Amino acid sequence: MIISTGIEELDKMIDGGLRTSFCYAIKGTAGSGKTVLSLFMTLGALKAEIPVLFISTEVDIEKLMIYGKSFNMNLESYVEKGLLHLEKMSLKPLGTNLVQTDQFNLSAIIARTKTKMKEINAKMIIFDSISAFFADFKYEKTARSNFMDFIREITNEDAVLVLTAESQMSEEYSTIEEFLVDGVIKIRTELKNNQLIKRISIPKLRSAKPINFENRFIINRDGISILRSEQPPISTIHEESSGIEKLDNLLGGGIPSGSVVLVEVDGETNYFPLFLSTLCYHLEKEKGVIIHSNVHMYSSRILEDFKKADCDIEPFMNKGNIVFIDKYNRSVTAIEAREMSQLMTTDDMISVTVELMEAFQKSKQKVVIYGDLTDDVNILSETEFLRYFALQSFNIKEKRAVAYSFINFNAISREMLARLRTTADIIIRFSREDYTTYMECMKSSTGATFLPKVVKYKDKMPLIEIVD
Amino acid sequence: MSLKILFFTSPTCSWCPYLEGVLRHIIKEIDHLELEIIDVTKDISRAGEYEIVAIPTIVLPNNQRIIGSADETFLRKQLDFFLTLGS
Repeated sequence: MIISTGIEELDKMIDGGLRTSFCYAIKGTAGSGKTVLSLFMTLGALKAEIPVLFISTEVDIEKLMIYGKSFNMNLESYVEKGLLHLEKMSLKPLGTNLVQTDQFNLSAIIARTKTKMKEINAKMIIFDSISAFFADFKYEKTARSNFMDFIREITNEDAVLVLTAESQMSEEYSTIEEFLVDGVIKIRTELKNNQLIKRISIPKLRSAKPINFENRFIINRDGISILRSEQPPISTIHEESSGIEKLDNLLGGGIPSGSVVLVEVDGETNYFPLFLSTLCYHLEKEKGVIIHSNVHMYSSRILEDFKKADCDIEPFMNKGNIVFIDKYNRSVTAIEAREMSQLMTTDDMISVTVELMEAFQKSKQKVVIYGDLTDDVNILSETEFLRYFALQSFNIKEKRAVAYSFINFNAISREMLARLRTTADIIIRFSREDYTTYMECMKSSTGATFLPKVVKYKDKMPLIEIVD
Repeated sequence: MSLKILFFTSPTCSWCPYLEGVLRHIIKEIDHLELEIIDVTKDISRAGEYEIVAIPTIVLPNNQRIIGSADETFLRKQLDFFLTLGS
């Protein structure tokens, strides 16, 4: 059974959620939000009607209720419903004196916990915190080794055990808790620009690959939000098909989302078969397609070419899955256009594209962008163009889209080509010798490049075929 | 009036039978002391009431607790301390 933590981003970090018969530790320095996180985890389970036993070793039950209230949690209502039980457990109750020896075990907490678990049928047990619990023991080592039995006995009952533990500022790794548990959720605080910033990471996760990225961890009254770091975990990058099976195989499975594919052609080679084949595939897959139209790529020509290939894309066009952005302001007359700037400003281009990408993403559609850069390089000033290309690539990476940028390498300077190649993630180059066209991959973010392969054009979709 | 000494045990505790024997032996000699043995696995409510965590725990009437097993001299010393200074 997998129990959601109630925090979507955290679920993703721990491979879907908390697993029953697993034990997790929330580690963090004092005031980092361990108790708050465990309370929100409790709430997450309670909302899914999963009974929770919350064992507090430092804070009194009444205080815990008040604590919950300050985060808009009505814990009392869950207690009344019988879904939640809060229990105080500490070695030294108020007003008692202790004499200790090292010959003891912790069977009392095991028995107490198990009974309470059975009473409310709890599937999640929160133990907050083991540091405070062990602090009362004179023979802490014995207590800690006996605590292993507690972990074993509780996780055997098909329940999740979540422990919170305080870590010292200097402590890098490996206190006893970290060896025992199946997963470690670590909260780190750091002072940056006079602001206390919290970061969350998963240094250990059994049965799954731990994610070594630290994400921002923000606590506010309404809940916990985790902001994913700029760099997404490798596991979330997935490859998208280009629509041409052979090309996917050669690229090692497809094109990773967030890639800019630079397709280099000489002036005589027609890149349209590649363009149309991938376009057709993406439209069939109901993806959002944005085309930065120019003298070659404009709607009526694309429609005609599709008709020639016996492929009907009109329904997709009517669905609104394909949007043309007109860079040349063809809506104004030729004279007006000459008087005005002939182009949309690059900033406009970028903001319109980003808005469209967001709109597609809202309707859960993957986004593919097409554009022919050749004219832009020659019309825009060099700095302006490079800025445009870099910003566009950045947006594509951030929005996990895929962009196909076509370029005529004979029409631009070598220096500019070199700069474009640096920014692009995948470079596919068409070349010709006599009457044979070749395709090669010169660079690939996955490392799967390939030597020139013969390309054959066909008159049915897909219009392009790669021959070994 | 007799004072009650609570002795919390559990079946998994290997020191408890020995400690119980020692405790019985000492208490027999003292008039107004009474021993109550509570198995935490059977009487959870008492364990909860006294917030018992570790086993064995001896709860003395003056809210003093002895956690862990010990030999007779240690126990006698603790009880003497309690009988002379406590209550």
